[in-house]
Amino acid sequence: MKVVGARIPRYDGVAHVTGRTTYVDDVRVPGTLWAKALRSPHHHAGIKSIDTRPAEEMEGVRAVVTHEDVPLNVYGHLSALGIPADEPLLAEGDVRYLGQPIALVAADDEDLAAEAVSRIEIEFEERPALLDVRKAFDADAPVIHQWGNWYPHFEAEMDRRQIRKGDVAAAFEQADVIVQGAYRPAAIEHAPIETQVCQVVPEPSGRLTIYSCTQALYFSMGVVAAHLQCSLNKLKFVGGTTGGGFGGKVDTATETMCCLLALRSGRPVKWRWTREEEFLCSSTRAPWHMEVADAVTSDGWILGRKMLTLHDAGAYARFSPYGLTKHSFHHTGAYSIPNLEFDGYVVFTNRSPTSAMRGFGVTSVSFATETQVSRIADVLGLDPIEIRLKNANRIGDTSPNGVVYTDPSTVSTLQALAESTGVELSAEYRTMTSEPRTGEWLPEHLVPQLGNPEEH
Amino acid sequence: MNISVNGVAYETESSPLTPLLDVLREELGITSPKAGCHQGGCGACTVLVDGEARRSCILPAAYADGAEITTVEGLGAPEQLSTVQQAFVHHYAAQCGFCTSGMLLAAQAYLNHGGTDDPSGIQEALGGHVCRCTGYLKIVDAVAAAARGELFDLTTTAVGKYTTLTGGGVE
Amino acid sequence: MATAALAVTDEIEVLLPGSEAEAIEAFGDGKDVVVVGGGTIVVPEMTYGRLQPRRALLLKDAGMAGMAEDGSRTTIGSATTVDALVGLPAPLGPCAANIADGEIRGVATVGGNVCAGAGREAPRGDLQGALLALAASVRSAGAGGVTEEPLEEFLPKRRERLVLGISFDRPARGAFAALDRPHTHDYTALAVSGARAGDGAVRLAATGGGSWGVRLPSAEASADEPERAGAAALADVDPRDDALASAWYRKKVLPVLVRRVLTELEEVA
Repeated sequence: MKVVGARIPRYDGVAHVTGRTTYVDDVRVPGTLWAKALRSPHHHAGIKSIDTRPAEEMEGVRAVVTHEDVPLNVYGHLSALGIPADEPLLAEGDVRYLGQPIALVAADDEDLAAEAVSRIEIEFEERPALLDVRKAFDADAPVIHQWGNWYPHFEAEMDRRQIRKGDVAAAFEQADVIVQGAYRPAAIEHAPIETQVCQVVPEPSGRLTIYSCTQALYFSMGVVAAHLQCSLNKLKFVGGTTGGGFGGKVDTATETMCCLLALRSGRPVKWRWTREEEFLCSSTRAPWHMEVADAVTSDGWILGRKMLTLHDAGAYARFSPYGLTKHSFHHTGAYSIPNLEFDGYVVFTNRSPTSAMRGFGVTSVSFATETQVSRIADVLGLDPIEIRLKNANRIGDTSPNGVVYTDPSTVSTLQALAESTGVELSAEYRTMTSEPRTGEWLPEHLVPQLGNPEEH
Repeated sequence: MNISVNGVAYETESSPLTPLLDVLREELGITSPKAGCHQGGCGACTVLVDGEARRSCILPAAYADGAEITTVEGLGAPEQLSTVQQAFVHHYAAQCGFCTSGMLLAAQAYLNHGGTDDPSGIQEALGGHVCRCTGYLKIVDAVAAAARGELFDLTTTAVGKYTTLTGGGVE
Repeated sequence: MATAALAVTDEIEVLLPGSEAEAIEAFGDGKDVVVVGGGTIVVPEMTYGRLQPRRALLLKDAGMAGMAEDGSRTTIGSATTVDALVGLPAPLGPCAANIADGEIRGVATVGGNVCAGAGREAPRGDLQGALLALAASVRSAGAGGVTEEPLEEFLPKRRERLVLGISFDRPARGAFAALDRPHTHDYTALAVSGARAGDGAVRLAATGGGSWGVRLPSAEASADEPERAGAAALADVDPRDDALASAWYRKKVLPVLVRRVLTELEEVA
């Protein structure tokens, strides 16, 4: 193999440094119309009436679309993973987050499109907004989603992602100390230097050429085809060049609207978001609320864990059930904790729907687990690296969802960390391996969770 | 307005108040400077105006009247890359590439003004440029290497401080 | 041509005076005209449609830049770039150096900075704090003709005046302390400027303590006791929550910056 292990330059490196890489907004098609969106100014409101005629009647305005123009307005992007549809492409009847798109205008120039948007007559009826996941469960909380305030469609129609393993009650009985922590990482905006942008060109053949900044070309193609109720071969996606995405360009947030405007007007259409739109309206990494209680022995074994996660999905489910599921599988992180009680909820709030971002679902729980283990070391007066090595995943240990580890790297990573930071470990920790537990590294409480790595 | 871009003279029609970035991209079709924020906050739009690095998204066209503008194409073409362009390729200083144009021009201005390989000097000069991909280390390494006047083997990338792969280029 | 740009339109009348006198005449009483020094603050406002004037007055050719020293008095033309101030002694020099980055400083003007309105996401008008500490006076034009007045009196009406120049007496000693963030091009969340005049009188002012630069008279009253002055300064400010920092955090940091500035002012040069 000539390439694996070699240091090769990027195939697009020279193009990047000479200004020749063509991003979507660099694509220039004569006759292109410019799109602007009418967005909700409210966190939560009913739409009492909407009249787009004042915009349509303006000279230079070539198309205006609302939910009525979308062949299939509500489509679940992850319906293949069993997540049913709840989010409209364009708002219908109500708006559930500030910035939610309601109508799109295509006009001869951006100023005109923006002016036309401001002329659309729309009447709202404000409703109470839910902005704190902890309040979603209150009896008097406003109900903000047709499914209730949290996602109810996990397998067997459960309303949470649940993991039960071993006997957590016994673990908490046997513990010398219970260590608790609450962890609330905030939302993070991807902030790619290139904002969301799309250029659609209607071809004489009847196909649509779509220049997209999506990270997921074929996935977005499927989403557009579903909304438009057209066959895939009607769409020619041109992509693969993105000015940064980090998970924020998987929502197919612009393509379908531009296709509708192009079909309606017969002209090429471009929609490019301003930086303000990017910050206010695009998806973010979700905020999380996690509560962890660990049952520990005074010599540093973690016997069991109880955990509650509230994941803030924003106004619609989007990919959140998938993210929470991954989160639940990894909720013990690099360590083997045999007795578990995990409950996670995908909670709706009147915020921008949250979405994927690097390490979707797992970064949050890694942060909580690592901080929690350091906290335990603090409370017990133990060395933070040694306590990690003690509880580290080994070959034959099982994950929260029963996957048997065949090649875990916790031990070697911690040893490399100690060496590179000049921390001297005692002999037994320095020579520890990831081989299946034996002797003093296999206390009784860890036996029931062992699996057979050979069978994997 | 009369502006010269990379040595080519143009007579532009945009209002004198139009930001130079929009004159370049929309009127002249020179799309290498990028619109990252349109408020001067990210540096993706930076061009050289009479040799000085300036944010083109907030510079009224009037302020470029009679000036010589340099965009990244003016630094070098694929057949003949400038030192700093080569440095960026060899040091893997561009990932998505969207901030790269602005970074290169700011780096070139820094070097033209006698900038050295001192990392704090480089960070001061490029401090207005945001990159969401690289974490900046390789950009600083690239500019430092260019400041030292290094020669670059473009068939391979540099061994960085944090690189674990030590294999050479493709045979 | 129909521009595809954001809201900067062809419909704004652009005025390019060739001298200070022409600029004063074009400005008139300042109604419905936006003054563009370097444009670093007002051009984004126009791009995003928050500022939609009928007329824009561009100062680039009006010859209003330059610095002069006459005895102990320094006079700075309003179109002088912020960058030109960087080498000056504290507080003005370090205050200017702390603004944005070189690309912005090379275009932004002193006049534009002094006239900056309150920012939505961050305090603006960094130089206001340093100039207040220096007891600067402002020469400006507008309704009622050309006048000169202390900066403190000028600030409330800065949106209606055309700044021509700023002047101040060089202090015996100056100091500047800012809440620093790692990325050099951030706006200043909070900064304190101080100046000690020849007669020993101390003036203090803050940026980020309110909508624009403010004096800190309560701190000045205890200027010889930095610890006490730091705590007293809280009475002079009304900071807001914004994108850079919370009001709470600014109140925590202000006493520290005041103490640092006063301690530095006490040092013998």
